[in-house]
Amino acid sequence: MTHTHIPRISGVLRSPITFSVLAGLVIGALFLVGTGADPLTAYSAVLTGSLGADGIGSTLSTGTSVLGMALALAIPLRAGLINLGGDGQMVLGGITAAVTGLYSPLPAPLTVVLALLAGMAVGAAYAALAALCENRLGVPLLVSSLLLSYPAVSLASYLARYPLKEPGSSLPQTRAMPDGVALPAFGDSTVTIGLILVVLAAAAYWFTDKRTAFGYEIRMTGLNSRFAAYAGVERRGLTLKLMSVSGALAGLVGAIGVLSFPYRFVDGSLTAPGYTWTGLTAALLAAAAPLGTVIASFFFAVLAVGGLAMERTTEVPRELTQVLQAIVIVFLAARLRFPSGWFRRRPQENPQESPQEIGAV
Amino acid sequence: MTPQPVDPAVELRGITKRFPGTLANDSVDLTVQRGEIHALMGENGAGKSTLMSILYGMERADAGSIRIDGREVTFGDPSAAMAAGLGMVHQSFKLFDSLTVAENVVYAAEPRRFGLVDRAAARRRVRELAEEHGLAVDPDARVGELPVGLRQRVEILKLLHRGARTLILDEPTAVLTPAEADALFAVLKSLAAQGRTVILVTHKLREVLEGSDNVTVLRDGRVVARLVTAETSADEIAAAMTGRAVELDRVHAPGTPGDVVLDVRDLTTDAVHDVGITVHAGEIVGIAGVAGNGQSELIEALAGLRPVASGQVSLKGRDITHASATERRAQGLAYVPEDRHAVGTAPAASVAENLAMGHHRTSLSSKGLLPPASVRAHAGRLIERFGIKAANPEVPASALSGGNLQKLLIGRELAHEAPLLLVEQPTRGVDIGAIQNIHDQIVAYRDAGHAVLLVSAELSEIRGLADRVLVMYEGRVTATYTKDEADERALGLAMAGGAVAPTEAVD
Repeated sequence: MTHTHIPRISGVLRSPITFSVLAGLVIGALFLVGTGADPLTAYSAVLTGSLGADGIGSTLSTGTSVLGMALALAIPLRAGLINLGGDGQMVLGGITAAVTGLYSPLPAPLTVVLALLAGMAVGAAYAALAALCENRLGVPLLVSSLLLSYPAVSLASYLARYPLKEPGSSLPQTRAMPDGVALPAFGDSTVTIGLILVVLAAAAYWFTDKRTAFGYEIRMTGLNSRFAAYAGVERRGLTLKLMSVSGALAGLVGAIGVLSFPYRFVDGSLTAPGYTWTGLTAALLAAAAPLGTVIASFFFAVLAVGGLAMERTTEVPRELTQVLQAIVIVFLAARLRFPSGWFRRRPQENPQESPQEIGAV
Repeated sequence: MTPQPVDPAVELRGITKRFPGTLANDSVDLTVQRGEIHALMGENGAGKSTLMSILYGMERADAGSIRIDGREVTFGDPSAAMAAGLGMVHQSFKLFDSLTVAENVVYAAEPRRFGLVDRAAARRRVRELAEEHGLAVDPDARVGELPVGLRQRVEILKLLHRGARTLILDEPTAVLTPAEADALFAVLKSLAAQGRTVILVTHKLREVLEGSDNVTVLRDGRVVARLVTAETSADEIAAAMTGRAVELDRVHAPGTPGDVVLDVRDLTTDAVHDVGITVHAGEIVGIAGVAGNGQSELIEALAGLRPVASGQVSLKGRDITHASATERRAQGLAYVPEDRHAVGTAPAASVAENLAMGHHRTSLSSKGLLPPASVRAHAGRLIERFGIKAANPEVPASALSGGNLQKLLIGRELAHEAPLLLVEQPTRGVDIGAIQNIHDQIVAYRDAGHAVLLVSAELSEIRGLADRVLVMYEGRVTATYTKDEADERALGLAMAGGAVAPTEAVD
C-alpha cells in the first residue's frame, strides 16, 4: 500500500477542498485589510475564542449539532441523494422528545432514552415520507424533502405556541423538562453525552462506508447510479433506507437540543443557528466522506463560535465567518463545474489534466 | 528541371506533442495530396486523434509545422482551421436535433438578407450542394428525426457549405450499415475526384482497403508505415498497427449446444415487438443489426432494467419475465452492457471497486461485511487472469484505456460463471490486439458450457463468434441464419431491412 501514500498526500494538498478553504481564508484576509482590521489578530481571535479554555466547551456543543446534521446530510449524499428537509426532521425530533420528556410516566433516565428514540423515530418516519414521495409519486427527493420541511417546522411552532406552551411565559416555548430528564453533561459545561452519541454515529458511518457491502453499494450509487442499478442495487430501497437513517440523525440532533440546555423546546431555537445548512456545507466540503465530514464539521463549529469571540474582542463583526463559509461554498461549487469540459478546451494550459484524455485518443 | 510539383493539400512536419508521461505524437510527418483519400490508422492511443486535434487547431503542438497548400499556418482554434479550408466530421455529430437540415447546414455561416437569416436561400443552397455531390437529403427535415447515415450527410454538407477543401472524418462508419458505408465512400470518392481532399481516421481495415488511396499508420505516436493502398493488404496494415502478425477475422469453431438456457417468447417492450429467441448452453447466439433497431431495448429487458410489456422470458426453465435485475443475477445471469462508461463501470471508482461489483454480496462478503482485503485480492486475481493493464488496483477505472476497461468489465462478468451471459458490443472502440483476447474469452466461456447472447454491430464479430445469427430490424427479428448461411451479403441486406423471407429458426 505504500505506493499509494505519496499521491494521496499530494492529492489532498492539491484537492479543491484545500484550495477552497485557503482561498476563503485569503479572501477573508483581504476583506479584513479592506476594512482596516488586522487579519492576523482577527484570525487568532477566532482560534483562541473557539479553542481556548473559555470557548472549547461552546465549540463542542455547537459541534455536536453541526456534526449530527452533517452526518444526516452526508449519508444520503454519499449515494448522490440530497436531503434538504433536515430542519423539519430535526424540529419534529425535538418536539417529539419534548412531549416524551414532559409526559412519559417512566423514571427519568429511561425517559431520556425514550425521548431520544422517539425523536429519532419521528425524524426517520418524516424523512421516509419524502423518500416515498420520490419512489411512489416521482416527486424529486430534493423537492419533496424541502417542501415537507415547512409544514413540520410550522407544526412544531404551533405546538410550542399553543397546546404545549409554558403557562405564564411570554416566550413560545414548552415547559422545562422535569428534573433529571436531561442528557448528562461533562462537568459544568454545556457539552453533553449527545456529543458521544453523534461521534458514535460518525464511527458507525465510517465502518459502514469502509467495511460493508451496503456501504459499497452506497458509494457506487453515488459515483454512478446507472452502474449500481445495472448490477442490481435496488435504488428505491436504498433511497428509503438512507433517508430513514438521515431523518433519524436529524431527529436525534433535535432531541439532543431539547434534552440539553435550555431543557425545553423553544420555537426557532433549533433552526435559527442554521445547523442544517452548516451541516450540508460540511458534508459537501468533505464529499460526504466519513472522516472528512467530522473534520469539516469541527472546522465550521470553530468558525461559528470563534466568530462570536472575534466580534467581542476585535471590531470585526462575526458576519465575517459567514462570509468565509460562503466563499468556501462558492469555490467548492465552482469545483463541481470544473471537470473535463472546462479543461478540454484549453488543454495546453492545464497539462496535468491531459493524461486521461490520451486514454480516449 | 522537372515541372514544379503541386503543393500538397496538407503537410505536417515533425509534429511532436507531449503529455505528462506520454509522447502522444513523436515527430510525425504526414503529407496528403490534393484529390486524395488518405487513411490515418492506428490503435487507440496511437496518436491519431491528437494529430488531428493539432491539425484542426484544437491543440497546439510542442514542435513541428503545418502547411496547407504550401503555406505555413498556425491555428489558434478550429475556426482558423475552417477559414483555411479544413473541415472535420467528429465521431459524435455536432448538430442541433430540433432544427432543420437547412438550418444546421448554414449555421454560423448563414446567408443573410436585411440582416436576417434568408431561409429560402439556405434551402436553395442545401439543395444545390446536395445535388452537386449526390448527398440527397430533405432540407426541411428535422435533424433529430433523420437516421444516422443522413445526419452524417448533413455534417458533410455543413463543411461543404463553408467551403472546406479538406475534409477530416473521424471514424465515420462506426454507426453506419454496410450499405450506408458504401454510399458514404461513393460520396467521398466523388469529392476527391473534384479535387477535394479527404483524411479518414479509422481502425476499420476493410473500408480503408476499399476506399482510400494511401495509408499512414501510427503506433505509439510515431509513423510506422506509409503504404499505397493498392499495393498493401489487410494483414500488412494490421501488423503495422499492432507491431505483430494478427490473425484477422478469425472464425471460431462452432460450439456444441446443450439444454435450453434462455427462452424468450413473444417479448414486447419499448421498440421491441414479438421477439422470440432461444439460447442453449454451449452456444453463442448473435444478434446483428444497425444500432437503434431495438437490440439495446431487448437486452435491457432481458437484464431486468426495462419492464416487459408482454411475452415471457425464462432462464433455465424458471419464469423471470418480471424479475428484478437483482433476482435475475441471482438466478444466473451476467451482463456486459454496451456503454462501458455510463453503465458498465463507475469511472471515478477504483479498478478494485469496479471489479467487485456484483461479487460484493456473494463471494467477497460474509454477513454483510466486505473486507477491503478481499476486494483487493479479488481484483488481483481478475487483473492477472484477464490481463488487465492497470498501474495498480487502486487507480480509478477512468485511467484505463478503452480496451483495458472492457477487459475489466468482461472479466468481472465472466467471473460470475453465470449460465447466461448477455454481451453488447464487446469490442467497440477496442484495439485489434485486445479484440482477439476478448473473443477468445467469450468462446472459452461458451465452451465451458455457458449460453451467450451477443449483440454486435460488427458483422465480422458476429460471423466469427456466433453459432446462430438473428437479425433485428425495426424491433423485430427479421431473419435467422446458421453459422454457414451467415455471409456478409445476406446479413448486410437483412440489416438494411431487405430480408425477404426469414429462414426458419434452427432450434
